[in-house]
Amino acid sequence: MATPSCVMNPLTTVRIPRLLTRPGDLMVRAGESVEPSQIVAQSFEPADFRIVDVARELEVPVKNANALLKVQRGQAIAEGDILAARGGLSRRVCRAPISGTVVGVGRGRLLLEGDPEVVRLAALVPGYVVEARGDEGVVIETIGGLIEALWGNGKEAYGVLRMVVRDAQHPIRVTHINASSQGTILVGGATVDEESIAQAASVQVRGMIIGSLPASLILRAQEAPFPIVATEGIGTTPMTQTAFALLRSLDGRDAAVSGDIGARWREKRPYIVVPMPTQAGRSIDASGRPAVGDRVRVLRGDHRGQSGTIAHLLEGLVHLETGARMPGAAVTLAEGVTIQVPYANLERLL
Amino acid sequence: MTEVPSIESVLVADCGTVSTKLMLIERVADSYRFVAQTETRTTGGAPWNDLSVGVAQAAQELEGITGRQLYASGRIITPRQDMDGVDAFVITLNAVSPLRVVLAGLVEEMSLESARRAVAGTYATIEAALSRHGALRSPQETWARTIRDSAPDVVLLVGGVDGGARRPVIELAEAIALAASMLEKDHRPSVVYAGNAALRSQIAKLLGDITRVVIVDNVHPGAETEHLGPAQSALEQVYVENRLRVAPGVEALSAWSRLPFVPVANAFSRVVDFLWHREGNMDRGVLGVDVGAATTTMAAAFGGRSYINVYNHGTASGLVDWVQAHSLDDLLRWIPEPLDADSLLAMLHNTELLPSTVPQSPLEVSVALAVVREMLRSALDIARPSWDITGANFAPFGSREVMPRLDPIVISGGGIVHTPRPGQALLAVLDGVQPVGISTLLLDVNRAAPAIGAVAGIRPLIAASALEAGALVSLGTVISLVGQTKPGETALRLRIRYDGGRPLDVEAHYGELEIWPLPVGQRATLEIRPHRHFDIGMGPGQGGKVEVLGGLVGLIVDARGRPLALPRKADQGWMRALKRWTLDVGG
Repeated sequence: MATPSCVMNPLTTVRIPRLLTRPGDLMVRAGESVEPSQIVAQSFEPADFRIVDVARELEVPVKNANALLKVQRGQAIAEGDILAARGGLSRRVCRAPISGTVVGVGRGRLLLEGDPEVVRLAALVPGYVVEARGDEGVVIETIGGLIEALWGNGKEAYGVLRMVVRDAQHPIRVTHINASSQGTILVGGATVDEESIAQAASVQVRGMIIGSLPASLILRAQEAPFPIVATEGIGTTPMTQTAFALLRSLDGRDAAVSGDIGARWREKRPYIVVPMPTQAGRSIDASGRPAVGDRVRVLRGDHRGQSGTIAHLLEGLVHLETGARMPGAAVTLAEGVTIQVPYANLERLL
Repeated sequence: MTEVPSIESVLVADCGTVSTKLMLIERVADSYRFVAQTETRTTGGAPWNDLSVGVAQAAQELEGITGRQLYASGRIITPRQDMDGVDAFVITLNAVSPLRVVLAGLVEEMSLESARRAVAGTYATIEAALSRHGALRSPQETWARTIRDSAPDVVLLVGGVDGGARRPVIELAEAIALAASMLEKDHRPSVVYAGNAALRSQIAKLLGDITRVVIVDNVHPGAETEHLGPAQSALEQVYVENRLRVAPGVEALSAWSRLPFVPVANAFSRVVDFLWHREGNMDRGVLGVDVGAATTTMAAAFGGRSYINVYNHGTASGLVDWVQAHSLDDLLRWIPEPLDADSLLAMLHNTELLPSTVPQSPLEVSVALAVVREMLRSALDIARPSWDITGANFAPFGSREVMPRLDPIVISGGGIVHTPRPGQALLAVLDGVQPVGISTLLLDVNRAAPAIGAVAGIRPLIAASALEAGALVSLGTVISLVGQTKPGETALRLRIRYDGGRPLDVEAHYGELEIWPLPVGQRATLEIRPHRHFDIGMGPGQGGKVEVLGGLVGLIVDARGRPLALPRKADQGWMRALKRWTLDVGG
């Protein structure tokens, strides 16, 4: 059975794809070292364009319009430039509505294309470019801690981790956020409230890592100017102990946070990467099957969000309260209790 | 169709959005039967990014069950070598994102409406619909910008009856040409032209140098006629080429099977067609509902014509989008206990984030079944207008508000087949589909229907044999009454004559679900006498004698009336009724 997994590892080799949303140019080469703010690729957002109906604006027949043009295909124009003009008693002019280039002429009309907007993609993490993917982007490798989360607001940043709560049960409160929070990535245990998100925005925090985001705050979180990442998803479930302990051990270190969950059908996992000044990290094999001793997280039910280890793989089926019977494992939770969980509701922690 | 000689065994891989199933069909004596099945997680996404990994894992698990080697040297063994491998390996697939389509047409209520129905026949989402909306001048700039910015896979251009409007269609084509020319060559959308036949050569000339153009019959050739088949086939072909053939790992799968990939919806539809031809009833249709993680498919057959509608929302994907377009109250009304909106929304979000997890509490099951009900209702809202039920006596109840007669109804898909108790699946379908008259509900308990449909593409007899051998298990026969009276009043009297038993006289009361035992495989003869306010398809108050089949739930009379009176918001009385109905069906 191919079992889902989630990386929560203090020292591993992390490969981060940094890909453009449309074809563009690479600014770095394979093998080059990069810094978080360094631009690794750029693309041009499609320019604005306009169809200018010269014949109609000059009130002349279509067949006469070409003779009145003051510009030609390929010519650069500025907003307000005269594109065509009619002399005589009823003089009229047709001006460019945007700056750009004349890219098409025909049937009494001009097609103008504006100047494209450049979109620049930063490395986000320090490391080495290990793969250059043509016009798509690059893959950057770094060594350090990696924590995969479940939900994110689509934004990303690099900053200093600052743990602001004492245990995983505690939410981030407005009292945790002050002027010294500026530029930091706040780490809480449970949830967050609207007031705290607003306060974090006002003091310009770099990011926020929490256990779960209440459903009522999703829109507010999406509007926040910094990344918000929830390790357990939506709701009120506190952060899994494994993630909380790892983040606490990394308090004060620089970290990259990505809240990108992709669009529907292109699911991605939000992540936190904490680069370490070392040469080697443990490689992770996500393709294995569950085995006794594996660290796991419970994904549903009363124990949702709790981590533990597989005590044994059940030969029979797990009987759920719903009446369903499914294959599963006995899991000993951090608090010492052993429960039976269907494999479908378990995730291996790597 | 590819002919394969002397087939004794077929292996079918069904790669769904969440799970990959592998089923082995073998000849046993004179018939073909499902011998074994395994299921694993679909491996199209990270960290595997290769669909063939899941298929290989499932094959190895199947080897453990059957003791027969199916996979060696990195591939499925086919053709069979002595006792190892299989004669044919068939793949059905929908574990890919849908086609992104922009519609361009003239009149919203005519050609564009037909275009929407054509798109609903395959795995596709409509990104935008372009038309004049009554404006005097064509907003070509806006059209071109919309196409360029949404960068769809396909633009479906329709409009003008054959020999009708020309200029507005050409203006749309010009805008498409402009937009396509502004996109990189390998990102330009294909254009399927299904409009005024008189413009075909002009359209080909205008767009042919810029992008790929497929010209098919007009979806709306006359003011009163609709012809969706060719446009649907063209879109399906683009889906196969642009999506299925480029899915991660498909290259490996293609090397293992010489047979063409079949989209799951098309494979499922073949089973529904087969059942319609087997039943041969011109006065009723056959419906198949496949409630999957990412899509809800309605496959129907009426009068020998088949209809496929794919609704791009399922039980684990597209839920939040669905809520934004509808309302949380629509889901909350199906949950028989108080639940606040935030908790429900959190559950829906987390189901999307973790689509392969299963409900672990009765409340979570209630939420999952609420989703099933509303996906069925929404999918039917789109599917029903495309069904041509005017030519025969499908709808004897004289109202478009109630469903046409459907018998049987096939229930498939991981979103519903995995419900812990069969009665829960039955009740969800009664609430979501609201059948009328007498219907047999068949549960595709092993989710084998798409596999059978795929096999029908190479050997129809094998598929028919596997179906007859019990691939579909009856949930029971349901008598659904159309009409209303006061709650608790007698709606129907019934005399049940079990095979070899004494008759049993019973009553069903308005507002209730009544269940009587009739196990799988057992038959009974019913003498049905509805109250004069109720109709079971024989006319108000008219009954008769019918023979029915049993099932996992039994013989069911749904005396809650049609259409079912649904509250906008659940109150205490409605919740009590929901609980009662759930208990009645053993849920």
